[in-house]
Amino acid sequence: MVDPVVHIANLTIQYGKDTVLHGLNWQIFPGEQWILGGPSGTGKTTLAKAIAGQLKYEGTIAFHLDPNSPLPAKIHYVSNWFQFTNLEGDRNFYYQQRYNKFAKNDTLTVFAELKHFAQEEQLSFDNVRSYLTIFGFENFKDQQLIELSSGEHKRLQLIKALWLQPQVLIIDQPYTGLDAQSRKDLNQIFDQLADQGVSLLLISNDDEQPNCINRFAEIQDGQIVIRQSSEELSRGLPRTRKALPYFLQRAPEVSSQVMVKMNKINISYGEKQVLKNIDWEVKAGEKWLLQGHNGSGKSTLLSLINGDHPQAYANDIHLFGKKRGSGESIWDIKEHLGIISPELHWYYDMNANVGQTIASGFFDSMSLYQRLGFEQQQKLEQILHFFDLKEVKHKTLGSLPLGQQRLVLLARTIVKHPELLILDEPCQGLDKEQTQYFNDVIDDLSKSGQTLIYVGHFQTQLPTCIDNKIVLEKGEVKAVTEVIHKNEALST
Amino acid sequence: MANYFNTLPLREQLEQLSHAEFMDNTEFTDGVNALKGKKIVIVGCGAQGLNQGLNLRDSGLDVSYALRKEAIEQKRDSWKNATDNNFNVGTYEELIPTADLVINLTPDKQHTSVINAVMPLMKEGATLSYSHGFNIVEEGMQIRKDITVIMVAPKCPGSEVRAEYLRGFGVPTLIAVHPENDPQGKGWAEAKAYCVGTGGHKAGVLKSSFVAEVKSDLMGEQTILCGLLQTGSILSFDKMIEKGIEAGYASKLVQYGVEVITEALKHGGVSGMMDRLSNPAKVKAFEISEELKDIMRPLFQKHQDDIMSGHFSKTMMEDWANGDANLLKWRAETGETAFEKTPAGDVKINEQEYFDNYTLMVAFIRAGVELAFETMVEAGIKPESAYYESLHETPLIANTIARKKLFEMNRVISDTAEYGCYLFDQACKPLLADFMKTVDTDIVGKNFNEGRDAAVDNAQLVVINEILRDHPVEIVGRKLRKAMTAMKAIKTV
Repeated sequence: MVDPVVHIANLTIQYGKDTVLHGLNWQIFPGEQWILGGPSGTGKTTLAKAIAGQLKYEGTIAFHLDPNSPLPAKIHYVSNWFQFTNLEGDRNFYYQQRYNKFAKNDTLTVFAELKHFAQEEQLSFDNVRSYLTIFGFENFKDQQLIELSSGEHKRLQLIKALWLQPQVLIIDQPYTGLDAQSRKDLNQIFDQLADQGVSLLLISNDDEQPNCINRFAEIQDGQIVIRQSSEELSRGLPRTRKALPYFLQRAPEVSSQVMVKMNKINISYGEKQVLKNIDWEVKAGEKWLLQGHNGSGKSTLLSLINGDHPQAYANDIHLFGKKRGSGESIWDIKEHLGIISPELHWYYDMNANVGQTIASGFFDSMSLYQRLGFEQQQKLEQILHFFDLKEVKHKTLGSLPLGQQRLVLLARTIVKHPELLILDEPCQGLDKEQTQYFNDVIDDLSKSGQTLIYVGHFQTQLPTCIDNKIVLEKGEVKAVTEVIHKNEALST
Repeated sequence: MANYFNTLPLREQLEQLSHAEFMDNTEFTDGVNALKGKKIVIVGCGAQGLNQGLNLRDSGLDVSYALRKEAIEQKRDSWKNATDNNFNVGTYEELIPTADLVINLTPDKQHTSVINAVMPLMKEGATLSYSHGFNIVEEGMQIRKDITVIMVAPKCPGSEVRAEYLRGFGVPTLIAVHPENDPQGKGWAEAKAYCVGTGGHKAGVLKSSFVAEVKSDLMGEQTILCGLLQTGSILSFDKMIEKGIEAGYASKLVQYGVEVITEALKHGGVSGMMDRLSNPAKVKAFEISEELKDIMRPLFQKHQDDIMSGHFSKTMMEDWANGDANLLKWRAETGETAFEKTPAGDVKINEQEYFDNYTLMVAFIRAGVELAFETMVEAGIKPESAYYESLHETPLIANTIARKKLFEMNRVISDTAEYGCYLFDQACKPLLADFMKTVDTDIVGKNFNEGRDAAVDNAQLVVINEILRDHPVEIVGRKLRKAMTAMKAIKTV
């Protein structure tokens, strides 16, 4: 009888009064490659963290790793959310920090980080080069960690995990923020690792899976339930479509018919040019899709619109009818728009409760620092009701599953009914039903004439209202098209 | 130049020392209007200079940077900071004459030479801003009579000033107008607008004076903030080594202990910090801190007296003139202490353990905060100012020790603070020699509660809690923290 590589018996985990895992039993045998799927909020991340030794639990988790294998006898866990610290060991970052330049380095460079990892795990640099190429990191070596986007961070964590080749590799949401090509490459690598004897446990609900996957499971009522295929994994309950809150049904007031006007925009960091000669105009009522591979400059482009990028002052940009740098404050700009992005989510105050988080959207702040007026209270209540968030109003954001956190931040974005909605990969980390629900909401909002900029990689994850598309490639505009035949035009 | 404070008659000295008013939100309704469309030129582009400039520009104001010619030609860090963020950069000669507001954010020691270079170039009726009053008050710099002189001093490191602004908040800030230089009566309006531009108005603003700022700032940094943290850290480490505690553990306990302990101070004041101890440990910490206060009181008073009389700044400026001989000598000595040279061990110390195994530091901090506060208030400084310069800043300095020990703390703080810190440390160690002989590992290095039962005398505990909670630093602290944290968590939703 072969020993299971991972043997979990009677595992129970509680957060306060909530029991997340309840006497869970599970065995992972050599040669098995698992997908752990199912709806958001069932305890997948909790289970992964327990296996990785990051949580306290009751019950036993035993490992039977092979001391004679060439692979390190280790369990390695890649979280869906990566936190790093600055050189001084604290974490007081803000999400715009990578656009602000300070001559003294605050965080390690990518190269130093990799070197540190290599030393710790006794790895050879030769074995990481191909991964650096695949994930587009050849030119990132001297970049500071703070300068990376959330997608780049995720990939750096993947690179480290693949490089290590541990006997057990657990990855929470491996595909987050990856474009189509990177996903394919990653799946091929997973297949290779499986051949070499790595036991994979992927937490994912994605359709595209590596070929090597041969076992499927989900968590129900705190217990593991084995499924025969990914099709059998259950879905979240489809949400009933409700009418939008009354105050969101009419069109927002528009301050200018041309909301964004960019004229020959150039942004560079030292030698590296991030945006080249960009011309772009967003008119009131248009619904744009912004696309491009990882690292093509999408986030930088958006940061120019929401007032976060200092180099906006050196470029010819008109926002909401006013030239940038003509005496407006960033708060004047932010008042016109609502934004959600993986970076914003990443740096948002996780100790704020759900009500405070949504209400902070009235003030464009990263937590609630002001009191609400009567009308704002009313709107908040309507939004909470609309998104079925009333029950969690007083819970902290950090205590919710990732998918629900995203919904809260979407609610924050629309609560002030902004002229322009900027949704930068809003559905990252959401399951299919949540994505569908989310995009339905966007479609409903768009009926009243909402102006929209949407960033998304996958056709199946887009709202249908999109009518224009701009594609970036290596910092340049590759194409601007009106979207007529939606299904073809929207795939990358 | 004569010491400005010493030229004042006593009643004027007391009047300026007692400036301290916590400002109401409604005082800032005019936003940045007083500076709108005006030309702001910042001199210096280090952490404060850059981050304040970024905030001011993001608030819709017109900001550029004046740097010395060599800094521009040699493309030094200050030049890179400004140009990489797309600011207009020029020499003093190019930019100062155009400025309506010149903001001096260079290190203290350079103030005299910077002001001497800048002042002749400033246009008639412009405003000059400082973030520290040493140059005006101690060095007695005379500013042209047509120029308005203000102070805006965010009470946090530059990176925090930026981070909090972008979160939609700000950091506590002190503002002042120099009474000798407000010819047009526009000083307060501009100081307030500048403060709004950096976001400070959201986190609490203290209306102060140049004199009150300098005399309280010097006192705080020399005694509780840097001096006592240094002395306490070194003595604690040496004691643990003497008593056979493992060096790596001792080093880690001291390096990170001050940060963890003062984090409790930040949230709940001295009583909040003491409440983290078990009841018996609290009684013990109370008793030793009372003893420490008695031993150290004369030293705290001497520091305050020397600051008030100008003796401190005079001797320090003599050391400046002497090529920093004393400063450099003391800096080297600090670098040679056993604590500095022993790296923190690879041991896990959980948060509560820092309190349980380091009761001595809790006692040091209570004694130091209360003594510094009491001494300042006795000298005519208002409790609000005294609070900022003692309790409020202690966690910020403790944070630098956690990063890279005392050497880092002394690198980050100003040369003025560093000089005062060494003065204090030199005098304090011998003063505490007898006391330290009585110290054993139960209060430093090991869990105080080990082998003790948790019983305490009710009446004694009640008395101790009352004394802690009723101390004036706690009374003013509760009020100020409430105003600042109307801040972080308005829990009305």
